[in-house]
Amino acid sequence: MTDLLEAPAPSGKDASYYERRELIQTSARATLKRRRSIALTIRITFGLCMVLVLIPLVALVVYVTKRGIGAISVGFFTHIPTPPGIPGGGISNAIVGSLIVNGLALAIAIPLGLLVALFLIERSGPVANIVRFGADVLSGLPSILIGLFIYAQFVVRNHHFSAYSGSLALAVLMLPIMIRGDEEAMRTVPNELWEAGLALGARQSRVVRSVVVRGSIPGLITANLLALARAIGETAPLLFTVAGSQLFSTSLSQPINAVPIVIFQDGTSAFKELQQDAWGAAFVLMAAVLVLSIIGRMVAARLTNNSR
Amino acid sequence: MSDTATTPRQLLEQRRSSRSKGRGYALLLWGSAILFVVVLAGILQGIISQSGQAWGHFGLGFLWSTSFNTVTNQYGAGTFILGTLTVTLIAMLIAVPIGLATASFLTEMCPRRIATPLGVGIDLIAAIPSIVVGLWGLYVMQPVFLRDVEPFMKDIPVVNILFKGNPEGPSLFLAGFVLSIMIVPTMVALSRTALAGVGNSDREAAIALGATPWQVIRKVVVPGANSGILAAATLALGRAVGETIAVTLLIGNASRISHPLSLLNPGATLGSVIVLNFGDSLPGTLYRSSLMALAVVLLVFTLVVNIGGRMMVRRNRNFRLP
Repeated sequence: MTDLLEAPAPSGKDASYYERRELIQTSARATLKRRRSIALTIRITFGLCMVLVLIPLVALVVYVTKRGIGAISVGFFTHIPTPPGIPGGGISNAIVGSLIVNGLALAIAIPLGLLVALFLIERSGPVANIVRFGADVLSGLPSILIGLFIYAQFVVRNHHFSAYSGSLALAVLMLPIMIRGDEEAMRTVPNELWEAGLALGARQSRVVRSVVVRGSIPGLITANLLALARAIGETAPLLFTVAGSQLFSTSLSQPINAVPIVIFQDGTSAFKELQQDAWGAAFVLMAAVLVLSIIGRMVAARLTNNSR
Repeated sequence: MSDTATTPRQLLEQRRSSRSKGRGYALLLWGSAILFVVVLAGILQGIISQSGQAWGHFGLGFLWSTSFNTVTNQYGAGTFILGTLTVTLIAMLIAVPIGLATASFLTEMCPRRIATPLGVGIDLIAAIPSIVVGLWGLYVMQPVFLRDVEPFMKDIPVVNILFKGNPEGPSLFLAGFVLSIMIVPTMVALSRTALAGVGNSDREAAIALGATPWQVIRKVVVPGANSGILAAATLALGRAVGETIAVTLLIGNASRISHPLSLLNPGATLGSVIVLNFGDSLPGTLYRSSLMALAVVLLVFTLVVNIGGRMMVRRNRNFRLP
């Protein structure tokens, strides 16, 4: 652009031509300069916005890590909570409780999610549309409402809080994520493979099992890990279902403790020791969620690399 | 299948059993799909049916009544609807422009080598549970707000009419601010997807016409990704409305509107009032039913927002939600 402006003038023109040419050159240069400075300003502003987004997020991770590591020890993982003032407490019951509740939730949600996803792939029509719409709606529902639902349907009827009602709540929470993710993963299996399987005389269920599910395992793992990462940190639905406990329990029909509940209850406590436990629990929870998300992403990345 | 000769009868048996197994598989699929729909319907029905007593007792006036008193047994959603709207509005006013600017920076102005790891980092942080963010907000942001930010806001002319009264710690403003930190990653991730969906040929055409990066963004990319950006904002809004635990830790949980109206006042949202009071309410009482009615209001809010967002997405075909 500048080259064009600086190009030598053709000879044999009168003075007014050169005047006009000069005018055009100056104004063009000014416009260009203005546009460039606007572009630079915008670039800097947007860059600053990104920094503004990153600062609190990084500060959060760093701070939780710093406070959390100071709070954990071997006893933190192996002991149950002690009353404030008595040293040596831990959150072993909450960690075991979270594992039990989430494990059972996975055991319910993984097969159901896979089957519903298969339904969406194999069928079309009004029911499939309702299911797809339902999954969309459910994924946007606040988790507290899911907790209230399980409370109303199960806890009230059984007259007490229980680990399995927490699992049901988390399973409902996981389902929409799994359905969407599983469906997307299995749609990547080419139609030719379905047809080849069917042409060999295999039943539909056999094709699904040996070709479709096996062929999309990395995608399925990613979807299910991300669902677990979301569910494991949920607090509101657990408050109404498993309710927390100071004791070590592995019974599915009894109230049980969970890591997010420890953070909620101890974090708002006035006792320094309990607040310390809350930070330790927050760090453990954050680390678990990040590890699950990173593994999920790595599996997904490997999947896309292979398919290239 | 086997090297022994099969009789027609055996063949028939095989086909029959294979057909019945095929039917079993189809039944399994239908069964799980229907179970899923039943669970969903059960959620809606379970919450709505338990709120019946409150709606019958207070009528639609429940929506704007601001009393919430367990002694006189008078309940209304007004305070909590106002609280939810205030906190959500603060969060959106901060998160949408900053999130959109960050997404534009990552897709349009920044080398891919840097953009990809930063984008993944923001996505990962978006996965951090809200209880952890809430705890951090309570112990780190609240003192900072009390000491620096809130007195600073009181000194800004014009804006300070929103910040009457003394900073006390937990406030609508603090809750809205921390909420914005929680929804910004959602906003960035979804609007990045939307912006990246605009065809490169459009960008190249604009650059060939001499457009600067800013002009490309303003005149080509953002208009092209319009509905995707709107959907991103709507879904971030849905997340903000439904977010409960972090807000509960930060908002101060005042179940009535204090005067003078100010963002420094403590307040409550639909989610926070349910979390804190649900354990105190007995099944079958008007109190419990009123809390369920608050849940119905929350349900309607999130349904409207989410269905609206999804419909916008559906209009834009090359945008896919994660």
